[in-house]
Amino acid sequence: MSAPAQSKSLKAIGEDTWKNKTEKVNAELFTLTYGAIVSQLCADYDRDFQKVNNHLFSMGYNIGVRLVEDFLARTALPRCENMVKTSEMISKCAFKIFLNMTPQVTNWSSEKDAFSLMLDENPLSDFVELPMDAMKQLWYSNVLSGVLKGALEMVQLDCDVWFVSDILKGDPQTELRIKLNKVLKDEVPIGED
Amino acid sequence: MAIYSFWIFDKHCNCIFDREWTLISNSASGTINSKQTEETAKLLYGMIYSLRSVTQKLSKDDTANDVRSISIGKYRIHTYCTASGLWFVLLSDYKQPSYSHVLRYIHSHIYVKYVTHNILSPYDFAENENETRGQGFRKISNRNFISAVEAFLGPMIAQ
Repeated sequence: MSAPAQSKSLKAIGEDTWKNKTEKVNAELFTLTYGAIVSQLCADYDRDFQKVNNHLFSMGYNIGVRLVEDFLARTALPRCENMVKTSEMISKCAFKIFLNMTPQVTNWSSEKDAFSLMLDENPLSDFVELPMDAMKQLWYSNVLSGVLKGALEMVQLDCDVWFVSDILKGDPQTELRIKLNKVLKDEVPIGED
Repeated sequence: MAIYSFWIFDKHCNCIFDREWTLISNSASGTINSKQTEETAKLLYGMIYSLRSVTQKLSKDDTANDVRSISIGKYRIHTYCTASGLWFVLLSDYKQPSYSHVLRYIHSHIYVKYVTHNILSPYDFAENENETRGQGFRKISNRNFISAVEAFLGPMIAQ
């Protein structure tokens, strides 16, 4: 199969799964629930936004390690052989199925091991305006980087995931960066190597 | 069609669930998560593992080339492997060539529902380094999971 044909079928898988195999919930309810979590965390940590970022990340990680199984069960997709394929699966299938959006993949590194996702229509941050003190440090949607980190780790891709910019902070766009550290080796039973 | 046993292996090469039926007349007979089948589980894992590495080496291009079933003199082994490293394995007689839809159903409607979505159940059955690489002993002991598997596979035992 040629590359364009494959990417088209990934898109079709994403759309089909979203349409037929996914129960829908009200997006506003989701947005507001997430907002309540973030504001509670800010209160709990006394507006120490570094800690809030870390906590959101670890919450996301714990979601991601389980969510990936749900994703694979819905789509039955095999492992990706390279990061280009991975990026397409994330944007066209995973984001489509769980958040009904298709972020653009850009800013490839020269070794093709790092890319950025442009989250134009991030449903987590609808209706959100950060207060002045939070604007400098808080990565409001940091749960997403944790989810991606956890999910990718479960398919043996050790990645770093972080936000580069966020509309909420006054940047022109929201950019989420994913960088592959290494492909983890599958375990072999003792005595096999 | 008749099925003889059902197994789940995780990415740490451990058997995390096994169910063996002994009497085809009685769907409640046999063992669940038994210590006695430990050796059988290791042998089964080893056989599938070896065949998978052979097929991956024989693959002409990069795309995934996976073992779906293995037919042996008296029975057939069906496998369904997920990208996250879970293996669902079913032993059956020769009457039906493929059980992949059955295994996929168990993964997507039973495993995900009762194990992955269950926050009280671990998502990884190896708790430390000493339980990886086939040395683990933890099993899925979740009641809802076991009864859902029984209810789903029970009717296929003696058909």
